[in-house]
Amino acid sequence: MTIVSQESRDNNEVEIRINGRFDFSTHKDFRGAFESVDAKSVEFVINLQDTEYMDSSALGMLLLLRERAGGDKARIKLTNCNSQIRQILEVSHFDELFSIQ
Amino acid sequence: MSGNRIVLIVDDDMPQRLVLRSQLEGLGYPVVEATNGLEAVRVFEETEPHMVFMDIVMPEMDGYQAASIIKQRCGQRFVPIIFLTALTDEHQLARCIEAGGDDFLMKPVGRIVLESKIRSLERIGALHAQIHALYGQVQQEQKLAEEVFSNAVLANNVALDRIDTLHRPAALFSGDVLLTAYSPAGDLNVMLGDFTGHGLAAALGALPASEAFRAMTAKGFSADQIIRGIGGKLYALLPTSLFMAAQFVSISHDLRHITVCNCGMPDILVLGKEGEIKQRIQSAALPLGIAADANYGHLVTHLDITPGDRVLMVSDGVTDVRNPQGDYFGETGFIEALEQATAGESVVERLAEVLREFAGDAPQDDDISLAEIPCVPEILPAWSMEVEDSVFENRSRSAEEQAEDPGEGRLEFSLFLHGRRLAQADPVPLIINNLQEMDEIAVHRRTLFTILTELYVNALDHGVLGLDSSLKGSAEGFAHYYAERERLLSELKDGYVRIRVRVSPAAEGKDVEIFIEDSGSGFRFRPFLEDAEHSTGYAGRGIRLVRELCKSFSYEEPGNRVRAVFGLQS
Repeated sequence: MTIVSQESRDNNEVEIRINGRFDFSTHKDFRGAFESVDAKSVEFVINLQDTEYMDSSALGMLLLLRERAGGDKARIKLTNCNSQIRQILEVSHFDELFSIQ
Repeated sequence: MSGNRIVLIVDDDMPQRLVLRSQLEGLGYPVVEATNGLEAVRVFEETEPHMVFMDIVMPEMDGYQAASIIKQRCGQRFVPIIFLTALTDEHQLARCIEAGGDDFLMKPVGRIVLESKIRSLERIGALHAQIHALYGQVQQEQKLAEEVFSNAVLANNVALDRIDTLHRPAALFSGDVLLTAYSPAGDLNVMLGDFTGHGLAAALGALPASEAFRAMTAKGFSADQIIRGIGGKLYALLPTSLFMAAQFVSISHDLRHITVCNCGMPDILVLGKEGEIKQRIQSAALPLGIAADANYGHLVTHLDITPGDRVLMVSDGVTDVRNPQGDYFGETGFIEALEQATAGESVVERLAEVLREFAGDAPQDDDISLAEIPCVPEILPAWSMEVEDSVFENRSRSAEEQAEDPGEGRLEFSLFLHGRRLAQADPVPLIINNLQEMDEIAVHRRTLFTILTELYVNALDHGVLGLDSSLKGSAEGFAHYYAERERLLSELKDGYVRIRVRVSPAAEGKDVEIFIEDSGSGFRFRPFLEDAEHSTGYAGRGIRLVRELCKSFSYEEPGNRVRAVFGLQS
């Protein structure tokens, strides 16, 4: 499984970890990870610690999550980005839409 | 499955062949035989059987080797090979499958087992054929769609013969799109877009993006307005997860300035003559189609350039290229390749070569696009336009004209088309765009369009090309007229049309004065003007129409100059 999601004990936070490449091949799993929860009421932490690479399809999936989680009201954190991923997020100006840590 | 139901039996043992043959013939299959692997390959090619039964241990060539050769020669065709074996060694059975075999049967073969085995393999064969047919159909449909798509999106590009490009889609459809178009002022707008992902889904957004790009460029919108327009359109049309990163560059018609906006793409580079990097324009905004509406006014950059500079646009597919070991080409590889390019050499060609060497036979993950635009006169449109903004400094005007000129709200410009430019450009939309900036004129857009078109076409057809309008007296003549026009235009070497437009405030309201001169020898316009009132034929209707629309309308001798005044208050 390249995507592991975990809800915190008080159900307020959902952590999604992506192993390896975050691209179109993870589309189904990634959607599955947030479609089963009430996205508007939780905070998402996308842990990219074990993510090697990210492409534009992954950016698209993040936008889907953001929309599902309430658009401008969404609470989504991207954590532990490597330099390549950080660069992609910066070039795309995704720091305007997500909290990048 | 195919009508060919021949079955090939390969065995060096004659009694074995005979037994199997009689069983297969009993099931209705025609049978051919071979006594060793080598012979099997030959018989296979001659008879193209639809199934093969293969012994393992044989002289000359064994069953494993024969099977792998036969499988190779099958290509896309599915021809099941069933190994016949007395062996029970599991390793040897596994080797049968490795060699390309589809199944195996223990000798001696019982009739019921044989029959079910054949049925099962035929079922797989039918599935195989079905997938193959479906795949072919998908391929064909994609190809067709790609053709339509290319025509709709790319066919209208300009100046591509002067722009060096590299375009390597990862799939049949590319998510990268390069668009070029001229603005009314003669600036060249170039946009390199990179849609999310690649393939057909990624290409979908290219159609609306290119439409917005062209329509807004043609109407003379500024860079930030065009980007905003495309962004809004994509936001409305595309699903949330689909968007377009874009590099937009507008090169001014005097080759002195560029206006640049980078939305989520790698840096745009401005290179000097020696290939040195003079400017880098970083991504300043989110890709297009993510935000409902955004103001790009403060996100565009205006830069001075020197004619001869080159603008290099690049998609992230370039730095994302991987070699067979899985390493990325990266920013470092990219810059190194740029430095390797010698002065005067095409950077795109150099990069294409370096990328090819680097990637080797590694699969390509993303679309790759590069465009190198030289800021030289050849990229500019074939027409030239002179906008005389500073009317007060214009010494060519007579004292009389200056006396009646209050200065305020005046607009004057002229357009000169000559030689082959006449065959390429339609100046009318250009003039209309230039006039539209004045609100009181915009409402008369259609009327002015008609007047200008009629007068320009007359000047070109009858003046420059010398076509006789009486040709249009009949329906056949009409066709002949246009064929002749086409021919003359393609051969046109000299001749000119000069158009001058002046908006002058008169006491009772503004007028638009249109003056058109052509290089022709003129025509007997007097009887034409008189007849025009009553003309019902094909010829002369244009003149009558313009006369009705205008406040004043007159020709100057010898008839190659016409002056029409349109009253904005009328």
